[in-house]
Amino acid sequence: MTDQERLTALAQILRDLLGDESIELTMNTVREDVAGWDSFAYINFIVAIEAEFRIKFRIAEVESFPDVGSIVRAIAARAG
Amino acid sequence: MLFNSYTFLFGFLPIVLAGFYVLGARRREWALLWLTAVSLLFYAWWRPINVLLIAPSILINYGLARCLERTGEARPAMARAILVAGIVFNLSFLGYFKYLNFVEGALNDAFGVGFTLTQLILPLGISFITFQKIAFLVDVHGGRVSRYSLADYGLFVLFFPQLIAGPIVHYREMMPQFRAAPCRFDAENVAVGVSLFFFGLAKKLVLADPLSHLVAPIYGQAAAGVPQSITEAWIAALGFTLQIYFDFSGYSDMALGLARFFGIKLPVNFNSPLKATSIIDFWLRWHVSLTRFLTAYIYNPLTLSLTRKRMAQGKPIFGGRNTNFPAFINLLAMPTMLTMLISGIWHGAGYTYILWGSLHGVLLCINHAWRSVRSRIWSNTKQYNRRVAPIGFVLTFVSVVGAMVLFRAPSFSAALMLWKGMIGVYGATLPQAVFSRLGSIAAWLTAIGVRPAWTSGSLLMAATIRIGLLLGIALLMPNTLQMLAAFEPALGVKPAKAPSRLERALTWAPSGTWAVGLACVALAGILSLGELSEFLYWQF
Repeated sequence: MTDQERLTALAQILRDLLGDESIELTMNTVREDVAGWDSFAYINFIVAIEAEFRIKFRIAEVESFPDVGSIVRAIAARAG
Repeated sequence: MLFNSYTFLFGFLPIVLAGFYVLGARRREWALLWLTAVSLLFYAWWRPINVLLIAPSILINYGLARCLERTGEARPAMARAILVAGIVFNLSFLGYFKYLNFVEGALNDAFGVGFTLTQLILPLGISFITFQKIAFLVDVHGGRVSRYSLADYGLFVLFFPQLIAGPIVHYREMMPQFRAAPCRFDAENVAVGVSLFFFGLAKKLVLADPLSHLVAPIYGQAAAGVPQSITEAWIAALGFTLQIYFDFSGYSDMALGLARFFGIKLPVNFNSPLKATSIIDFWLRWHVSLTRFLTAYIYNPLTLSLTRKRMAQGKPIFGGRNTNFPAFINLLAMPTMLTMLISGIWHGAGYTYILWGSLHGVLLCINHAWRSVRSRIWSNTKQYNRRVAPIGFVLTFVSVVGAMVLFRAPSFSAALMLWKGMIGVYGATLPQAVFSRLGSIAAWLTAIGVRPAWTSGSLLMAATIRIGLLLGIALLMPNTLQMLAAFEPALGVKPAKAPSRLERALTWAPSGTWAVGLACVALAGILSLGELSEFLYWQF
């Protein structure tokens, strides 16, 4: 799986969560860029990713992802 | 000493700055030690004995952090035990000083037992300091903080601009700044700092404080059981909302400005919360650093583990298309209510604060439930936001103002009486002077429940104008973060991509016009210095 494919999967998860089909993600996207992506929605996003990719993040990691790219890289590091 | 005192402004601050810049020109380390020492002095000023409480607490926390670091990932169970011990220590410390009297009172209420303990005096800023220390331990445990010395840690905890009432800062956002700070006089930092400080001072002294004269008598009457008409009730609710708004906004600006004198940028704490178009939005703008703390250290870990558990059981999670009502209750409503309950208790040891937190919890749950349902019945988010934003704003505004009554009212019965007043249960009133000039209309007004009150018409007029003006500032004007955006007044603040015309007109610049404007603002603040008043948030 490439980073681009992971990014596409993440975007779909977020669209489903926020019910907004217009959401597009890039590696540099931060939470503030996406309307409605507050801290509450973020945790659902993380758990949805964990389920989708069958991985588990540490809480310290979850708190410190600065952008979407860092999540993609963390998935890549785990899922190989 | 208060930020808004002569001692601070004309004694402490100039000496501290002079010392800092002079020492910084020789050796940075000396300047930072000086900053730590004067911060301790600042803390000791109120009650020197406080130092005997905070100093051991700093040493113990530092020791625990060192133990945590040594234990590291090699012995996770041991590290966890140390972390739990640290959190329990800090919470007991807070609990003893802040809640013992309340628990004792509650026990007396419930069982009629006559417990009596000596009234404890709350060490200043203990609620803020405690949260910050807990966050530090969690960060060390999570491997997010690496190198630190006792001097670093002491400065992090004691840094006086944010010592007493926040923002609640993280070690990882402060220490890199202290390490990189040149500790020398820098014209830009001082100009930005002075501007923020005096904007804050004026907000606090000129805008917030006079409101207490307006609202205090009404809350006092409600507490004494005197029903308040719709007129007084709304003046009380709006007046206090604006008082705490400008008090906290002013304090936050002053904290940002003071830190900037030392080349340090604090995180955003207050960002025009009354402009919020939803309760979720409100909490992302009001006391931002507290929301951030509660989210990161209570809500997120709780939801994360609950959501994983549910998912492992094959049950639907909250959010997305397959969500259901039990998922909402378990994964959103429960953690939200718990978090907001803790927020309420943190704000004050009293039933009204607990109720205030719970009320906001309920509002947040409704907001989230609606958001979840809304996306299914109205999928065009942009169109939805455009059309519903005004309704959202009104609902949020009324909810926030209504809930603030709990924050100020001395008892729940007083709050209830004011709420009843706000919805018109006790009728409406008009000044006697107006009434007597209305002739036959007066009789008709009386028939629908309007009665004469408010001895003078000019008093009502003055109250209305004052509240109207302040609402105008809070709702229509760009805030200080926006005005100074080009100079990053708080961590991470950037200029808007498409500023409005008013924002462009009020963009801060180191120019002659702004110098004159700010001199007027500073003068207005300094001339109001006489009436010493504490910050509302300092009692927490």
